[in-house]
Amino acid sequence: MNLARVLALAQREWREILRDRIYFLLAFLLPVMLMLVFGYGMSQDIENIAFAVVDEDHTPLSRDYAHHFIESRYFSFKGYLPDADAADRLLAQRKLRLVIVIGPRFAEQLRAGRAAQVQTLIDGTFATSTRTIQAYVEAINLAANTSVRSGYLARRLGLPPERVADLLHPVVLEVRYLYNQEVRSIWSVAPGLIMLILMLVPPLLMALSVVREKETGAIYNVYSSTITRAEFLVGKLLPSVTISCINAVILWLLATLYFGTPFKGSLAFFGVATLLYILCTTALGLLISLLVRTQQAAMIISLVMSIIVSIQFSGLITPVSALSGGNYAIAHAFPAMYYNEVVKGAFLKAIGFEALWPQLLVFALYALAVFMLCYLLFRKRTRT
Amino acid sequence: MGQAALVAAAEAPLLRVAGFVKRYGRRSAVKEVSLEVRRGEIYGLIGPDGAGKSSLMKAVAGVLSFDAGRLEVFGIQLDSEAAAERVKGRLGFMPQGLGLNLYPELSIEENIDFFARLRLVPAAELAQRKERLLAITRLARFRSRAMKHLSGGMKQKLALVCTLIHEPELIVLDEPTTGVDPVSRRDFWLILSEILHERGATALVSTAYMDEASRFHRLALMLDGRILAAGRPQDLRRRVPGVAVQLRAEHQAEALARLRSVFAQVQALGAWIHVFAQDRDATAAEREIRAALADIALHEMFSTEPELEDVFIASLRQQDPHAGAMSAAVQAPLAAMAAAADGNAIAARGLTRDFGEFRAVDRVSFNVSRGEIFGLLGANGAGKTTCIKMLTGILPPSAGEGSVGGIDMRHAGRAIKQRIGYVSQAFSLYTDLTVVENVRLFAGIYGLTRREAGERLAWTLDNGGLAGYENETAGSLPMGLRQRLALGCALVHRPQVLFLDEPTSGVDPVGRRQFWEILFRLSRIDGVAILVTTHYMSEAEHCDRLALMYAGGIVADAAPAELKRRVTEEAGSLLEISASPVLQALALLRSAGYPDAALFGEHIHLLARDPDTAGTQLRQMLAGAGIAVAHIGRRPLSMEDVFVHYVTLLERGGTLQ
Repeated sequence: MNLARVLALAQREWREILRDRIYFLLAFLLPVMLMLVFGYGMSQDIENIAFAVVDEDHTPLSRDYAHHFIESRYFSFKGYLPDADAADRLLAQRKLRLVIVIGPRFAEQLRAGRAAQVQTLIDGTFATSTRTIQAYVEAINLAANTSVRSGYLARRLGLPPERVADLLHPVVLEVRYLYNQEVRSIWSVAPGLIMLILMLVPPLLMALSVVREKETGAIYNVYSSTITRAEFLVGKLLPSVTISCINAVILWLLATLYFGTPFKGSLAFFGVATLLYILCTTALGLLISLLVRTQQAAMIISLVMSIIVSIQFSGLITPVSALSGGNYAIAHAFPAMYYNEVVKGAFLKAIGFEALWPQLLVFALYALAVFMLCYLLFRKRTRT
Repeated sequence: MGQAALVAAAEAPLLRVAGFVKRYGRRSAVKEVSLEVRRGEIYGLIGPDGAGKSSLMKAVAGVLSFDAGRLEVFGIQLDSEAAAERVKGRLGFMPQGLGLNLYPELSIEENIDFFARLRLVPAAELAQRKERLLAITRLARFRSRAMKHLSGGMKQKLALVCTLIHEPELIVLDEPTTGVDPVSRRDFWLILSEILHERGATALVSTAYMDEASRFHRLALMLDGRILAAGRPQDLRRRVPGVAVQLRAEHQAEALARLRSVFAQVQALGAWIHVFAQDRDATAAEREIRAALADIALHEMFSTEPELEDVFIASLRQQDPHAGAMSAAVQAPLAAMAAAADGNAIAARGLTRDFGEFRAVDRVSFNVSRGEIFGLLGANGAGKTTCIKMLTGILPPSAGEGSVGGIDMRHAGRAIKQRIGYVSQAFSLYTDLTVVENVRLFAGIYGLTRREAGERLAWTLDNGGLAGYENETAGSLPMGLRQRLALGCALVHRPQVLFLDEPTSGVDPVGRRQFWEILFRLSRIDGVAILVTTHYMSEAEHCDRLALMYAGGIVADAAPAELKRRVTEEAGSLLEISASPVLQALALLRSAGYPDAALFGEHIHLLARDPDTAGTQLRQMLAGAGIAVAHIGRRPLSMEDVFVHYVTLLERGGTLQ
């Protein structure tokens, strides 16, 4: 391996990347953009749900009930509506996601000891958020029931309301969420996004950079020179890996500083694992570039591979253990799954080398194997 | 090593190709080619696209495997990738496509440095070589300019410098001059000769331009994967004995038809007719022509040495008697087209187009009348395509105006499109559709009725000689046929004006002649006004009138013969000098009042006002300097000479150099 030739190639490549505006944006803007867009998009916390109340009863009791919703931080109260028709219209226009309709004899029924009817209208076009809204509504409704009941019992039994509440709920379920105590979904999403983006961008950049030379004919400078196959492959990998390392740092900063995700693990472990993971994904891009001729093909193949692997077979959404036979095997054939364990471990669980060293070994062997495959596939004297 | 062995080694060919075969899938790109290149020579491969030149050159450079035969470079058999690696240190390869192998974002100097570092050229040597090569190519002033901002000629020179920076013994250049303006081309050939001579290196060079043959010491004419003929340019011309006769006659179309019944190779060149009279001398040929023309009045006639293209086609005919003959369909009269408006079919007045800072077209004015073939001749990037795009209403001009068929192109986009046919530079057909489907598609686009579409389809098949290919996909047709199909599609709505943007690029000489034959009939019989662009200097002679384009502007505008006459008046006649050593002779002539003397292989061309006296003087001067003069004679001016003359005048007048 002649280092002078490797450096000549790598430095030229680096200069080109810095000067080619489109490629530069692709290299440095795309990862940040993906992080921000997906960070907000995939976060499942739902707050400030626009809602309104139709109060057909107009009694202090009905207003009390409505206030349970108005005071919640999950809901954003837009005002009282005169009737259900107005509610339908605003729901259809997507100005509201939820309407609470309190029936005309609400207070009367309650006082008579009968169940009062309250109707909720929820915009069901987004299935996941609909279920979340429904859960919120049920929880608030339960709280409202409890306060009505405990107020009633407190008056009848002459006990303080707190005591009554304890009597009503003899068993209290206490939930403690491990690793993500506040169940902020961005905390689990941001590390996952680092995995996804480092699966997506490095192969794309790498594949484009080789295929671009094939398209222009500049690859013949390499073919016809005395540079060896290994030197070429290493010289091509270097700039691409460097870019991705810079991106990894930027993404880590975004996750911790911007999204506020706690980083509990060892930075050294995370750094080594990330470098190895980038080597794997960049080498996959190199492999693609050796198999195709056009930039379009390189782009489509690397994007389709990356998106499917990082979303479906990485444990990002569905845990890998829940995948069935064939899918389970596919997940194990790509580095994304192992790295997903690494990011979750390093960010949220504070585990490192001691528990996750097998993942590092997998990365190292994986990168080496793909590089060897590239070496075998790359020919300086082609058939076409 | 003994003396005898040393001599043998020096004389052994540097490159030996025997029975070379290259296939791509089922298609054979090169079929049993054999040739030898000797040390120190410039060997040419001439042929159209698809002739197999690139495949052969890539294999020689060790970047392409092949299927059969032997390939020996520096005595090493290239039978494996490992063997190929062994020759790469002594070899330089410049792939096809002007400057495409360079790095657009890097400057001239950074490009050179990269190539040198890739080849492990030591820093001190690099600095020295770089300065020298930059000086020779006159690129030194622009060393920090990004490659993407260079002109075509500069890119070509930079590519050459990058290929030479490690001082290879054999350089393989794939179409280094295609699309480059003639002035830069002359420059390029001189630089190449000087460097090769100085270093004793050898070059294998390919070109699509038949008229570049005289640049080579020896050459091979290639077509369809085979070598048709090989040898020195003068020997190739003599292979098929005969004489070329140029004539101008009344009733050109009729005269053409009568001459065809006697001679196999007859073609129209603008207002002239060009006849290749095989196996005849000038007297016999001219006598026979007079007899054939009978009562048709003959205006002018003179004989010249045949062009290499005449010989090329004649060689083809010896192998296949039908090659080069015009098909019956082409000769049949065409259906009359709708009468065009009177006056100028195309008019451009001060057309200008800016792209940001860059002025692509600069105040271009010309008129084309009905039935006229008007040519825009210029290098890639001279502004030809932009002109056409403005006149067809695709691109709004920054200034100036134009009209087509009497309609101002700015206000009547649709009306214009009904009147024009346009064959674009990039192949304008749908390659996955068959011939018939393509014609029907275009008929549909122009809203023809079913009956009309049927008629036009029959006409296109007949006119383009496409019968028998109806159900082939357009992509599978040879270039010549494809271009005739594209022409048919552009004519499907019977336009009065036809725009053709480099229609014959990459088409073989026979295909080009057939294509021009169709254009000739369209203009003469149907009265269609034709505007055609080309970068083939020799092809420009087919036009009735020519505008030479350079750097966005028109340098000269007249009939080809008139342009030549003007140059002769302004600068003199063309002299060809064969002297040895030729580079020394060239340097002497350039310093002795002939700064534009140009090198053509082993000959020198220069313009002299009084050729006879000048010839004697030059002979004495060269002999006085100890240079052996074999021959000094006159040669007819080519379009390239005309172009170079005008551009040189412009450059000297326009800039202070």
